[in-house]
This record gives sequence, structure tokens and C-alpha cells, in this order.
Amino acid sequence: MAGFLIKRFLQAIFVVIVVTLIVAFAIRLTGDPALMLTQGAGSVTEADLVRIREALGLNQPFLVQYFGFIKGLFTLDFGRSFLGGTKVSTLLAAALPATLLLAFSSLIVSIAISIPLGIKAATSRGKWADQAIRILSLVGLSFPNFWLALMLVLLFAITLKWLPPSGMNGFESFIMPAVTMGIILTATNVRLVRTAMLETLNSQYIMVARAKGLSENVVLYKHALRNCAIPLITYFGLQFGGLLGGIVVVERVFNWPGLGTLAFDAVGARDYPVLQAVITVLSLMIIGVNLLVDIAYGLVDPRIRTE
Amino acid sequence: MIRTRRGIHAAFLALGLAGTALLAAPAWAAGTLTISSPQDPGSWDPIDTFLVNWASVATNIYDGLTYRGADLKLVPGLATAWEELDEGKRIRFTLREGVKFHDGEPFNAEAVKFTFDRLLGEEGKKGPQRSNYAAIDKVEIIDAKTVDFHLKAPDPVLLTKLAGYGAMIVPPKYIQEKGDDYFNAHPVGTGPFKVVAYEPKIGIKLEAFADHWGGAPKLSNLEYRFIAEPATAVAELQAGRVDLVIPPTIPVGMIPTIQADPKLEVVSTAGPTVYALRFNTKSGPTADERVRKALILGVDRDAIIQTILGGQAAPIASFQGALSFGNDPDMKPLPYDPEKAKALLKEAGIAAGTTLQIDVRGNDSTFNEVSQAIASYLQVIGLNATIKPYETNVLLNDIIPAGKTGAMFEQAWGGWTLDYDNTAYSMYHSGEKWNPYDSDPKLDALLESQRSITDRAKREEILKSIAHYTADRALEIPLYNYNAIFGVSKRVKNFTPVPDSRLRLTDVTVE
Repeated sequence: MAGFLIKRFLQAIFVVIVVTLIVAFAIRLTGDPALMLTQGAGSVTEADLVRIREALGLNQPFLVQYFGFIKGLFTLDFGRSFLGGTKVSTLLAAALPATLLLAFSSLIVSIAISIPLGIKAATSRGKWADQAIRILSLVGLSFPNFWLALMLVLLFAITLKWLPPSGMNGFESFIMPAVTMGIILTATNVRLVRTAMLETLNSQYIMVARAKGLSENVVLYKHALRNCAIPLITYFGLQFGGLLGGIVVVERVFNWPGLGTLAFDAVGARDYPVLQAVITVLSLMIIGVNLLVDIAYGLVDPRIRTE
Repeated sequence: MIRTRRGIHAAFLALGLAGTALLAAPAWAAGTLTISSPQDPGSWDPIDTFLVNWASVATNIYDGLTYRGADLKLVPGLATAWEELDEGKRIRFTLREGVKFHDGEPFNAEAVKFTFDRLLGEEGKKGPQRSNYAAIDKVEIIDAKTVDFHLKAPDPVLLTKLAGYGAMIVPPKYIQEKGDDYFNAHPVGTGPFKVVAYEPKIGIKLEAFADHWGGAPKLSNLEYRFIAEPATAVAELQAGRVDLVIPPTIPVGMIPTIQADPKLEVVSTAGPTVYALRFNTKSGPTADERVRKALILGVDRDAIIQTILGGQAAPIASFQGALSFGNDPDMKPLPYDPEKAKALLKEAGIAAGTTLQIDVRGNDSTFNEVSQAIASYLQVIGLNATIKPYETNVLLNDIIPAGKTGAMFEQAWGGWTLDYDNTAYSMYHSGEKWNPYDSDPKLDALLESQRSITDRAKREEILKSIAHYTADRALEIPLYNYNAIFGVSKRVKNFTPVPDSRLRLTDVTVE
């Protein structure tokens, strides 16, 4: 078991190194931040640019810059934003919780919608309700999320004035972004719940439960749902990682002060330290989730342990 | 909570006043104005940035020695008077007395010297502002209320430059005690509003500074929110949670949405930004002056302004707007004349169906429409135009300076000083970043000659002659001067739009 753990852990470290190396290298291909900073200035001489590059530490060789960044990872010192010199750790500390909260709320919304609908579809398999739910979920899947977001804003913020159109400020401000993200996820989740449920409903213990004369709701929610919960939870957990990546557009539309907005602005401003920190944090989280899943499977299933 | 309470107090106060006698309205009306600004500059230190959206906030926090408001007239700021000595190589400023920074620190000659030593010294070297003030050699303290600026060479635009950006006066003691980092996020100036709270990427809150030398502002609070997405900013305006959306946010396409809302209005004014399609004058068909003239004649710029831009722009004859110092109002744009254009093309031996590439900023939706229209106008005179969109930063930093553009490329430009020197020197002087193709000794000489002349009239003549010269050589298609567009809630009173984003909100009130 120890050997397995070490192996998985070393693999994760290798992935981190590769990801950070690619990120740090690729971002430096996007262009010169010194030019970016002086874009609006009238006459800028090469000497001005050299001075600015020096101040930003861009005159050093790539590997020196890269190792500086890696060293910083261990002390949680990600350097400073090129735009204004704010500490990247300060920016991350504000943006990370905002994104996590939004991702979490979206997941809750999606679960709250997809479980009842998925069960309904499974129990009325082949009937009109099943068809309707499947078509609805297809429609949900085909919505571009920015469009859905704009439509929600138009209806609930501008016409009805029930909800704030943007920003993160209290419970109400979570509703529209979480629903937008949630609906997109729901489309796949409904199908997943339906399939898992169908499999479970064919088991003998369900037949037994029904034969005992239990009410349909108890059979469905207590016996069936619990038994198909494990694959669902695994899937929802992994989805959480994917959510983090897909959140950029929704954050932008709702002016959400999260990692997506941070990354979007950083790309535009060639703000290397911020962008590489955001991407590294996101990939670390995804790698971490995968590592945990791997370890959990290893604990449960001896075959994986000895592979 | 605080805001509500203040509102209630104000309401009681108003009721009380109305009840006792119909007195004049109180000079200080409580109220918060919420403003949507498209970008967080990240630092409020004057030497760290060139971003217009730094200035749109910071104009309320800081003062310069000179001040320039919405009317673009240069008036005394923290200096009450100035005198040019030694043929423009020395400027003596008399400083305003009794002025205090927001933290109580006194403003004096020491603060002026500190500000410029910092801008021109080690700290300023790291930032983009220093190059604008390179003419200053040193600042000498004569006495507590007098300073001399020693210049390496006369700079005719310096007094204007002292009204903004890097020349904002900062508090020496505060910065020395708290350090630069702290100052970036907790700025202190002498301006009419002081900073209460700054949340990176979210917003900044200001409060009236009652002790401002120009009198307390009429509003008690300003709240800026950073909203990058135009649709979101306009939605906030429509929902009544934002009172003012400042440029550059609202695209022409969203103006009808705002105008359709009875609670909102669009207010605009000529801005500093001018648009042109500049030419590759070095190689290809556009190396021929006749071809360049034909291209100018072949595009109906007035029609573009009226139809695509909804009238939110004005035609230009050279690469500057009507507000620019150096603009010749008697200079008229070349007319739309496709027949003459065809004749010129024929004379230059350009075959029908020749393809020309136009490089544009891909994310500028308004200009993309403009370039489509230009392409169809060029079709009429027998040319095929292909439009190549680039990511804005790539076009600006990698394609144009390297001289890798097509025959024509989009250039949008506008210096806040509104002095043609800023534009003309960068666009036309040999070796400048924005001038990858052209080298004209005569134009270089003209550009250099006006830089050391402090006589305004004489300098204006030279700048006008530069404008004429570039038009004669047809160095670009001057397209239009684009307006600064503001979305304003009707609860905002006494709002005057500014051309240069330096929006000081001292006289504004809200209902």
C-alpha cells in the first residue's frame, strides 16, 4: 500500500511540474508585458522598456524565472501582479473562495434538479414523462451559458428587478450564476441519474422492498437512491473540477470576483504572475481531487493497489 | 446600513427645512453616486499606470500643480501661479497655502519635491509614467511655498502634463512611513474625495473630503464598481444599481437600449480618441501616394459615421480631433469621390481586383462593422479588401511595431493631453514604435522643431503644418473622432461629460 501511495504521489508531482512548465513557458510566448504597460504612453524608448522589464524580472533567463515561481509555490508567495503590483496571493485569497462558493452552489442546484427529474424519468421509462425530461435536458445542454445568463439577467434583474444583475453580494447574487452553471450540468446529470436508477430498480432488493408493501417514495428515495449514490457522488465530485474550468464565461457575465475573472483580465494584460498562479492553483486542485479518488479506489479495491 | 441611515437623516433634514421655511437647498447634499468603471488599475499610485480608468477615479483623489477640467482650460491647482524663466528652461511655481492631505499632513514645497524626485528616481524607473516627464531635470525648493522646476529642455506640454497622471502630488511622510505597497492600495492625496475602502477587482469607495481647498464636494460618497462586460454594466444601470457608466464601456450598439429606458440617458462628448486606417507606405500598392489618395477618396466616411456609429463621431481631416491643440478647423477631409479614386488607381497602374489586407482589432465589434463597410466601399472602386482580425494586444505590440501589417491597419489613438505632438511624434517620426514603415527627414525636422518652442501660437502653426503635410502625403485614411459615451441615470443631476476620462465629480448631485 505504501508503495502504491508513493507511486501515485510521485506521478502527481510530475504532472504538477509538467503543467507549470507548460504554463510558464506558453504564457511567455504571448508577448512582452513591458510593451503592454506602456501601450498608452506617447514616446517610449527602448531604454524605458529595458528598465521596465528589469523591474518586472523579465530580463532573467526563463529557467531562473521558472524556478523563482516554483520556489514561491512552497511559501505561497506567487510574486506580484504586473498590473499595479498587488500581491498575487492577495488576489487569489479573494478570488478562490468566490469561485469555490459559486462552483459549489452550481453543483447543489444541479443535484437538486437532476435527482428528482432523473428518478422520474427512470420510473416512467419510455412513457411521455421520460421523453419530455430527455428532450428538456437536451435543450438545456444546447444552451450556450452566456446566452442563458443574459436572458436570466434580462428577465429577473431588469424586467422584474428581483435579483441583482451582477457582483457577489449576499445570497440573492448567487441565484442567477449558480442556476446558469447548474442548468448546463443538469443536462448530463439527469441522464446519469436515470441510468443509475434504472440499473438499481432492476435489482432484487427493490423487488423485495416493493413486495413488503413499502410506499413508492420510500422505495425510490430510501432504498434505490442510496444504493446508486456511490457512482453519482464520484461523478459529481469529478464534475466539481471541471466546473472550475468552465466558470470563466459565467463569471465574466455576472462580474463575479473569482478566478475566472482574474484569469481573463490577466490574459488581456499579459500579467504573467497572476495567470500562472491561477492556472497552477486550478490544476493543483484537479490533480488533488484525482489523487484522492485514486487513493480511495486503492483502499477499496486491492486489484488497483497492486497494478 | 450606513448609507440608509444617512439617507434617512438627509430626508429628515430636507423635511425639516421644507417645514420651517422654504430656505435654499443645503449646500452639502448627502448622497452616493455609484459608477461602473471597466477596469481596476491594480494600484492607485500615480507613477504606476497610464490607464484612463486610473485617472477617472484618481482625479477625485489627487490634485496636480495645475488643473484641467471638462472645459479643457488649464487653471491653477495646487499652484496658484507660475512663471516661465530662462527661456522656458525654468518654471517657478507659487504654491497654494493651507492645503492638507487627507491624513492631515500639510502640502508644501517639500511634498512637490518629493513627488517629482520619486517619479524621476528609482521608484519611478519601474513604472510607465516617467518618460512623460523626462524634460524635468530637478525640482528645487526656494521656500515653503515656492518651487523651481529646472528643465533639461523647454517642454511646451509640461504644464498640461502637470494636471494629470504621474504629476499628481503625493504625501511624503505618509509614503515614507507606510511604504509604497501600502500606498498602492491606500492612496492619500489632497483631492476632493478620500479613499475609504479598496477591494481589488471589485471596487473602490470614496468619501467627501470636507477640507478640500476648493470647497467640499456636493456628494457625500462615490462608489466605483469594476465591471468589464458592457452588457453587465448596462444591465446594472437599467436595474438602477449603477448611476453612471463611464467610457470606454458602452459600444454604439447598446445606445438604443439605454435610450429606450425612460429612467436613463446617453450623454456624450467629443473624446480624444481618433480612428484611422494607416498605410504600409514602404511596400505594396500603398507605397504609391496616388493609391493612398484613391483609398481615402473611395471611402464614404460621413456615411459610416451616420449609419454605423449612430452619429457618435465626427469626421476628421488629419489624425486628431477638433479638441486637439494643433488641429486646423479650416482643413477639410477629402470628399467621397469614387470616380476620382478609380481614375487615380488607373493612373497608378493598379489592376481591378487587386487584394488589400486590412488588419483590425478582433474584439472591437464597432470597428469590425466599420471595416466591413470600408471593404464594400473599396469593392466599388474595384479593389478586394480582406479583413484580418488580430487579438488587440498582439496587433498593438507585435504586428504594428514589427511592420508585419497588411496594406492598411486600424489605429485608434488619443493622448489625454489633447496635444497633437503626442500623436504626431509617435505616428510619424522615424524610428518610433508606431511608425514601422515611413521615414521622412522633412517631417522629422518639423516634429522636432516644435518640441522646444514654448510660444503657443508659433507652435500651433507648426503643428498645423504637420497635419497638412501628412494629409498631403496621404499617410492614413483619417476616419473619425469617436465620442466619449456615458450612460447616466436621470437621478444624477449637474453631470458634465469630460472628453479625457478625468472625471471630477465635485459638482454632481443625486436625487
